[in-house]
Amino acid sequence: MHIVLSDVTKSYFIGKDRFDAVRNVSLEIDSREFISIVGHSGSGKTTLLSIIGGIARPTSGTVLYEGKDIYSLDKDRLSEYRCEKTGFIFQFASLLPNLTSEENVLLPVLFKTGNRAIAAAEKKAAELLHMAGVGDKLNAYPSQLSGGQQRRVAIARAFINDPEVVLADEPTGDLDEATEAEIMRFFKRMNEEAGTTFIMVTHNSGLARDTGRQLKMDNGSISVVQGI
Amino acid sequence: MKKFNLVTLATKNIRRKKFRTGILVFSISLIVSVLVFGLSFIINVSSGIERASARLGADLIVVPVGARSYAEEVLLESKSKSFYMNKNIINRVKKIEGVDVITFHTYLTTIQGVCCDVPEATVVAFNQESDFIIMPWLEKAIGRKLEKNEAIVGHESFLNIGLGLMDAMLFGTRFKIMGALDKTGTGLDNAIFTSDENVEEILQKGRSQLKPDEISIIFVKVKEGYDPYIVGRIIEGDIIEADVVTRSDIGKDITGALGDINMIFSITVFMASILSVLLAWAIFSATVNERLREVGVMLALGAKESHVAKLFFIEVFFIGLMGSVCGVVFGTALSLLLAKSFTILKNLPGGLNAVDRAVIGAAGFVIGTGICILGAFSPVQRIKKLEPLAVIKGELA
Ligand SMILES: Nc1ncnc2c1ncn2[C@@H]1O[C@H](COP(=O)(O)OP(=O)(O)O)[C@@H](O)[C@H]1O
Ligand SMILES: [Mg+2]
Repeated sequence: MHIVLSDVTKSYFIGKDRFDAVRNVSLEIDSREFISIVGHSGSGKTTLLSIIGGIARPTSGTVLYEGKDIYSLDKDRLSEYRCEKTGFIFQFASLLPNLTSEENVLLPVLFKTGNRAIAAAEKKAAELLHMAGVGDKLNAYPSQLSGGQQRRVAIARAFINDPEVVLADEPTGDLDEATEAEIMRFFKRMNEEAGTTFIMVTHNSGLARDTGRQLKMDNGSISVVQGI
Repeated sequence: MKKFNLVTLATKNIRRKKFRTGILVFSISLIVSVLVFGLSFIINVSSGIERASARLGADLIVVPVGARSYAEEVLLESKSKSFYMNKNIINRVKKIEGVDVITFHTYLTTIQGVCCDVPEATVVAFNQESDFIIMPWLEKAIGRKLEKNEAIVGHESFLNIGLGLMDAMLFGTRFKIMGALDKTGTGLDNAIFTSDENVEEILQKGRSQLKPDEISIIFVKVKEGYDPYIVGRIIEGDIIEADVVTRSDIGKDITGALGDINMIFSITVFMASILSVLLAWAIFSATVNERLREVGVMLALGAKESHVAKLFFIEVFFIGLMGSVCGVVFGTALSLLLAKSFTILKNLPGGLNAVDRAVIGAAGFVIGTGICILGAFSPVQRIKKLEPLAVIKGELA
């Protein structure tokens, strides 16, 4: 697992005005890293994470995954990258409202391997939901869950396809401290035992300090706070 | 866990907006039922005419000048009509080159309301020596010729009520009803048949409009190698008192009128279909719009466009399917129910068989589902232009 961002810029155009949400970011991410990104709201963290996750095309610059520019892949290959290599934990509520927790977690399996793999993945889905602390909510619909519980289901979902890299956008934003710590322990364990790479956006500087490398976004630019 | 795949996902989605889905299903079923009903009607009429003219077993029919349509009404639609020409025409037709065998009928109409007679019906007096129209059926029914004052009734005749057969008073003469013919699939199924030996007695009683030496219709088979159409033209040219209808022309007036009905019907169905496509388009546009965020999430989780498109089209297909099935059932029921309230269908022989109905049903199904898919096509294409992040954040692409 090796990701290289070179000179990545994402601009939005509001009328004639150009606004760089992410500006000239170059970054190298290695296997088994645990990276945190801090920064003010609006500094471009979500945009950067989305660019790495293959869900927002940069205006310029390249994102290489294992040496290949993911945005030069055709649509289906890019989908496969999202599906198989990354696990995205969105900042926003992202569960499908008419699916149960279990079905929501299994959705990426459906996209990866189709119907046949579902039965085999059921046990794993239940385990992940259990680890995320919502093991008793398998058959609950999102509307029957609290915001924090929904977030945990989304976290479980990010791990179902054994991603190489988990992109977590303020994953513990609406969780209490105890749960936050619990989730962090889970992340750490996945990082150490399964070798999953983590890039996590957080406002909690304590959590950030506890990671291998701490980056800071400011007005679209990135700087190193701690680490290499 | 219960099954979980794109199909179950799509069916879950269908249940989300029940009212809206219901409206679409209902409108699809309306258009499909109109289609099925109309097709049933048109196919019923045209195949009925074809069948009836084929079963008459004659290449040409010769009728009095101007009586063509009357003859068709009798032979196809079981209507009672009186039209007569002189008997000597029989011999004149016989002499025409290319004419093989001929036979003739005299049609008498019983008059309703006259004491002791039966309700209005056609009595066919036929010549048992030369006949090739009725005899095959008679042979099957009773295995012998009819004696004087005997009659046999058509399968659909009011006299064939299955309560045993009684005598009937026709034109003041008592006839013994010997039995009923099998269904011939022609307008003659409603008639009462008797030998032309009885005509003299009927004439004497004076209870019909028939005059001596009159007949109604001559049936002609042409010799092998002769074109019925040309033989028919020669007959018409030689015998100015007679008109000729070739087998392929039988029912042409009806099918001609049917063609017009067909056209009006097609235009109506076409326009209604466009309307339904637009409705499906509007509904699916709204649906896709509402689910844009979900689509973005699915794409971000690794769904391919084909996954999302499949998901929508399965939903669309099911809605089309539900509408079509309801429509086919409703349209078929309607056509069965109303069959007897159309004069033309009431009198035409036959009706649709299972295969006809299956084909019509399939057509309704294809069109109903097609409308739905066509309407959904462009809304679903929208998902192709989406960037996941943008839609997840709620910006419209
Ligand atoms: N579609 C857009 N059009 C214009 N500006 C946008 C759009 N999306 C995001 N932005 C801007 O880009 C900046 C970075 O956004 P984001 O990455 O979501 O910030 P963060 O996650 O750090 O809070 C913000 O200032 C935001 O206003
Ligand atoms: Mg953000």
